Amino acid sequence: MTAYLLNLATLAAIFGILAVSLNVLVGYAGIFSTAHAVFFGLGAYAGAQVALLVTPDVALASLAATALAGAASLCLALPALRVRGEYFVAASLGLQMLATTVFTQAQSLTGGIGGLVGIPPPTLLGLDVSSPWAFFAVCLAALGACLIGIRLLMRGSFGRSLMALRDSESAARAFGKDVARLKTLAVAVGCALAGLAGALFAFQEAFVNVESFTLEQSILLLAMVIIGGVGTLAGPLVGAVLLLLLPAGLSFLPFIPPTDIGAVQQLIYGLAMTLLMIFRPAGLAGRPVGQR
Amino acid sequence: MLLVQLLASGIQTGLIYALTAAGFALIFGATRVFHVAHGATFALAGYAFLETADAGLAWPLACVASLVVAVGFGLAMDALVYRPILRHEGSFFTVFVAAFGMVVVVQSLLELAFGRSFVAYSSPLTRATAVLPGLYLAPVFWVAILVTILLLVLTGLFLGRTRAGVALRALSENPELLRAYGLSARRLSALAFALGSALAVPGAVLIAATSGLQPSIGPHVMLISLAASIVGGIGSLRGAVAAGLLLGVTESLVVAVLDTQWSEAAGFVLLFGFILFRPSGLLGQPVPR
Repeated sequence: MTAYLLNLATLAAIFGILAVSLNVLVGYAGIFSTAHAVFFGLGAYAGAQVALLVTPDVALASLAATALAGAASLCLALPALRVRGEYFVAASLGLQMLATTVFTQAQSLTGGIGGLVGIPPPTLLGLDVSSPWAFFAVCLAALGACLIGIRLLMRGSFGRSLMALRDSESAARAFGKDVARLKTLAVAVGCALAGLAGALFAFQEAFVNVESFTLEQSILLLAMVIIGGVGTLAGPLVGAVLLLLLPAGLSFLPFIPPTDIGAVQQLIYGLAMTLLMIFRPAGLAGRPVGQR
Repeated sequence: MLLVQLLASGIQTGLIYALTAAGFALIFGATRVFHVAHGATFALAGYAFLETADAGLAWPLACVASLVVAVGFGLAMDALVYRPILRHEGSFFTVFVAAFGMVVVVQSLLELAFGRSFVAYSSPLTRATAVLPGLYLAPVFWVAILVTILLLVLTGLFLGRTRAGVALRALSENPELLRAYGLSARRLSALAFALGSALAVPGAVLIAATSGLQPSIGPHVMLISLAASIVGGIGSLRGAVAAGLLLGVTESLVVAVLDTQWSEAAGFVLLFGFILFRPSGLLGQPVPR
């Protein structure tokens, strides 16, 4: 039981990082990405490959994952600079579908459908952090660092410029803000942190395959941010914990056959997304944002 | 001959995409609602056809059942989801998430009811025969061409020649003026949703009768309609049709060069290229930045 709960808590920390990082795009920059699982996946594959080929050091693997996801974020920044609203959503959907295919087809890098197996237990600067408690502590520390980092960033001039941009791009431009640089930076920060979460995920599962990086995952991540509340620090965390606990909670209900749990879970979060938008568009912990 | 065969199957898929995207474009053009739940309409229409036909209903009646379900769902989305949100001056973001949520809901309901595997309706229409040596076509190919052209012409005539059609086109431009002429914007919007959703039915029935259905067809069609309407130029009916055909043919022809796995991805490369280099699409207005 403890092992089960500890696994859930570690995953909550990892998905917390993901939700918080997606919120940098959606909540602060107003960039509605449906391709966040792509950067999560890039990080996971990069982290796994570093661990398999070079060293099982979490710090090094995370660094590689963050760098790769950050660099690849240009794929998202490019359309974000050119179009917005419906057009950007379509572009990010396209990127997501393309990446899913590449992840499945690039056998030598991603292991194809079978994925990458046998990722060695993690170490941290020579210390053994492979025990569930130790690795939970590592993930919690990473989440804490992300939260502090994002809070500092958003409190500062960067964050204020970003929110000005979100609320009115033309006004921000009129005030002399460098819109292109701000957007690119926001995308890079959000995607790089998703890469970090990916590397941690690879160590936690000791196995990665494309299943975790599909459109469904991107939608789940969006649902976490939206249900929790966009544009707040705590909202995405609340959403991540709620949606992670959902399947576990459902498995305690005797009248749902285990094979249906996935569908019931999707049903609940889909319904939650729609009902929240009708009755409480700011989410559970949020204030209204996202105006065009 | 392989190329011709691929081209033929590309045209057949492309026509289905074209009709579906036309429905999406009609709704967007009139109401400015980015109706991504159009994919859910398509899935529901397809399953309604399959289930009633399986239950022993003659296929024309099964088509009627499918039509009722599609129009009903479109109208319900308009009345229960979009109107309440737009009344509170919801943003694009709010509308999109709400519709997206419904796509997920419908997909999971279909999974719970009918399982995740493929189901198809077999009819003599889908039995392929050799037209030329090496070129196999099923009657459904000609049916797809005829139905699509007929429906597109009818839709065009309706929008261009009838009072309601012209009012529909004017709806997005100036709802206030329409009210002055004694037309209800509320009712016109319902009309747009009913018509647009009805245009999803032939595609859904044809897919059910050819490659079969799976609950994930909803999100898939959502992506296709989205891609086609952007490549064609958002809100442009003719553009959506052209882009639907282009997407279908591209997906099919890619198979000649690469693995089938890449066929869907190829469509999205096309979409990505258009967004980066020509966001106004084939036939659209310049994009507001």
